Order: sequence, then C-alpha cells, then structure tokens
Amino acid sequence: MELISLKQVSENSKILLLSKLGYNSDGEFVLDSEGNKFLDRYLEIPIKINNMVILPGSTIILDNNELSIMKYMEEFGDDF
Amino acid sequence: MTSEEIAKGITKGVLEWSAEMLTSFIQKLNDKKLAFIQEKKTIEIVKEQYNSGELKFYQAYIEDKEMLFVVKLGLTLRRLEDDKDRLNNLQDKIFTKYKVSGLHIAQFVQNGILNRYIGILIDKLTSIEDFKRDIENILDNIEKHVLFVKSIDKPRDIIKQTLTIIHSHSPSIFILSGVFSATKIVSDCKEELKTFLEDYDLEIMSGSDKEILFFKRVLKK
Repeated sequence: MELISLKQVSENSKILLLSKLGYNSDGEFVLDSEGNKFLDRYLEIPIKINNMVILPGSTIILDNNELSIMKYMEEFGDDF
Repeated sequence: MTSEEIAKGITKGVLEWSAEMLTSFIQKLNDKKLAFIQEKKTIEIVKEQYNSGELKFYQAYIEDKEMLFVVKLGLTLRRLEDDKDRLNNLQDKIFTKYKVSGLHIAQFVQNGILNRYIGILIDKLTSIEDFKRDIENILDNIEKHVLFVKSIDKPRDIIKQTLTIIHSHSPSIFILSGVFSATKIVSDCKEELKTFLEDYDLEIMSGSDKEILFFKRVLKK
C-alpha cells in the first residue's frame, strides 16, 4: 500500500481532501458534514488536521497516535 | 502520482495538490491502495510490537483480547522510552481510554515486571490453567498486587499503603515499583518493609532508573 505523509502538505490541500471525503475543517480540527468536531473512532477525542491520518476502510480519519493505529490494525488488518 | 513525484513536491516546499491529484488519491484510498499518514515511524513502531517474541508468549497465555491489547500498549511504551514526547503522548492516550488501571497494566509490562512476575510463577508452576489464571488475576486486579510509586510520594506513606494493601488482600506476590525519579523512594522503603513483612521473601529488580521490589509470600511450615 502506498503511504503519503501529510506533514508537508499545505493546510489548503488537506482541507480540500477532507471536503472531497465529505468532511470539513475550521482550520484546526476535522469537522463532520454538520460542522461538529469529528472524533477519533477509538479515543473519542477531536482530531487536529495537523495530526490526522486517513486510512482505508470506509475512510477512517484518526488522530496520529500508536493506540489508535493499533486499534485500527486490529479491526481492519495491518497490510500497510 | 508516484512517491518519487510526491517527494519532489516536498523538496520544493509546502505541497499543494491539484483537484486531479485529489481525485486520483481518493480513488486509491477507496481501492485500499493508499493511506495518508503523518510519519512512517508510528506505523513501524506499532508493527515491531506485533512481531515481537515477547508478545507471542503473552498471546499464548492471555485470552482476554482487550487485556492483551493493553499488554501490547505496554510493549509499545517500552519501545518509546527514548522518545519522551511520544512516550508521554501514548501514556496520555492510554489514560484517556483505559483510565489509571489500564495505564498501570501497560506500565507493568513496560517496566518488565510482568516478565519477572511470570518467571516467579514458572518457578512454582503446577498447571498451565493455574498459570493462566494467575496472570489474568494480577492484570485484572493490578492495584491489589502492585503499588506504583510516584516522585511526589513520601517513603512513610508508601510503607503505610503497602501494609494496608497486604493486610487487606494478602497477595501471594506483592510488587512495589519505582522508576525514574521514584527509584530512590522505593529504595528508601526497602529495609523497613523487610522488617514488617517477615512472611515474605524479597527479590529486587534493580537498575539505574528503576527499583522494583517483589515480596513473595512464604508458606509457613
């Protein structure tokens, strides 16, 4: 699987990407389609756009931390 | 767009994506051929733990999946010990998800205490079923078996708490754990506890940044 780092990507491009995926951002956090802060699936914490990861499997947006990534691997497999 | 082309974009500065590129990325994401990450290191660290021999051992004896997951987090904490920011961040996340008892279980693994605890159990092994039960019991009831000393604790209070836990629960093995700035506090409690706990043998796991006391109950003849 190809991995693209979001570290050097402009904020504008990240927001465009989120919008194409049906999400939004206030410039700091990932927002859902209704404008609410979108929460990490496993930790239930808001996700900052400068620390988000977007993983395949019905498009999963997570906070970039080992616990959330491990939980993702347990649920969806580790083939990346 | 290839990884090489993307890398070229990075060297030019902040990367801007065109609408065409975004469409292509989303197609690959939907086809499970692409993931957007922050840095590869996070993924690599996680994968390392999944391939470790120590984890394979625990997988054979810990059946509760959620408990095993917390054990994996403990191994990951150990791996992050040289990177304080990441270590603190993961500790915060474990606390958010599993509260203080989950963090204590993860630290129990991180500090190598589960390792040594299993060694003590193996010395007295009677059956695999009892062995599994003992491991699950200590993980399920970590606060009844282990006291994690904090840097702000005072030796007098630690001795008092230790005696309270031992008198309330009579654990067959009681562990007093001090790491980093709490190492000396545990060391300062050692002699006095030895005097009070005459029904227990003391085994010490010591290092420059840790002092862990294992009090093992001796059966009276």
